[in-house]
Amino acid sequence: MFGHWLQNRPFALEIAGSEWAYPIVQAIHFTGLSIWVGTSVIVDFSLLGAGRKSSTSLHLSEALFIWNWIGFAIAVTGGFLLFSVSAETYLVNLAFLTKLGLLIPLGLALHIVIQQKAPAWENASETPRIAKVAGIAELLVWFCVVTAAVLIPYAG
Amino acid sequence: MLLHICGWLQDNAFIAAINGTAWTAAGLEIVHYFSMFILVGAMLIVDLRVLGLVGRRQDATQLAGLLFPWVWISLAFNFVSGFLMFAGSAVSYYRNDVFYDKIGIILLAIAANIVVHQKVRKWGQLPAMPASAKLAAFISIGLWIGAIIAGVEVPALTGVG
Repeated sequence: MFGHWLQNRPFALEIAGSEWAYPIVQAIHFTGLSIWVGTSVIVDFSLLGAGRKSSTSLHLSEALFIWNWIGFAIAVTGGFLLFSVSAETYLVNLAFLTKLGLLIPLGLALHIVIQQKAPAWENASETPRIAKVAGIAELLVWFCVVTAAVLIPYAG
Repeated sequence: MLLHICGWLQDNAFIAAINGTAWTAAGLEIVHYFSMFILVGAMLIVDLRVLGLVGRRQDATQLAGLLFPWVWISLAFNFVSGFLMFAGSAVSYYRNDVFYDKIGIILLAIAANIVVHQKVRKWGQLPAMPASAKLAAFISIGLWIGAIIAGVEVPALTGVG
């Protein structure tokens, strides 16, 4: 129902019918993802201790905060437009449903927790173990999100 | 000559197997996307710092020092996974103009990365980022976004990949 309604909106039909619009929307989604995933997992990597020696006074999570969420907003906008082009197909695709219903909420929840705790973790002389566990967990979840996304055409 | 090499690559048993098996083919795509996000994300952050749009209170040299290892590590993963996917359909890519555009843009983007990497220490010591630094960072951002656009245009316009 919702899928049928959405994919028959004028903007969705416009994107579906144009040779250029669809790849451009894809590029918007990927650019947003580069900013979002890049800024998120680099904080995770630094919590794991990679590249930490040279950056003891660097408040990475804080510094990247705004661009992190700008990237997320761009990725969601592009992603929503891609979804709207063939909403009905996506809504019955197991890989897509796992990605959107399970993995992304999990990744977001973890991400927000890490973002709130990161300043304290970054200030500690020794990164606490819980920070490392959280960092690895977030990395894994976003890797799974990419995996689910790549599997969408296979699962269709 | 080049076409001959492409044909040989494509017929290589290992390359054919890795691209012909669903889970390894999907694995290559996953590695290619994930490493691309880290590569482009890390590089854009360095560029945005040079432009003064991110982390102004952070030391530019320090931030670049932290991010550049990820730029080059993820580029290595991105190149290997990309090369294996290219090799699987090398003959089609050999005849694909949009693919040449993509590779050309990426080579220019990598050149811009090298410039920024080599100069950022010097720029960071100056009281303000010089105009040439901002230009280089701006070009780098444009090239990476261009690389993504060219990347999605390869399958969209030519049906290869």
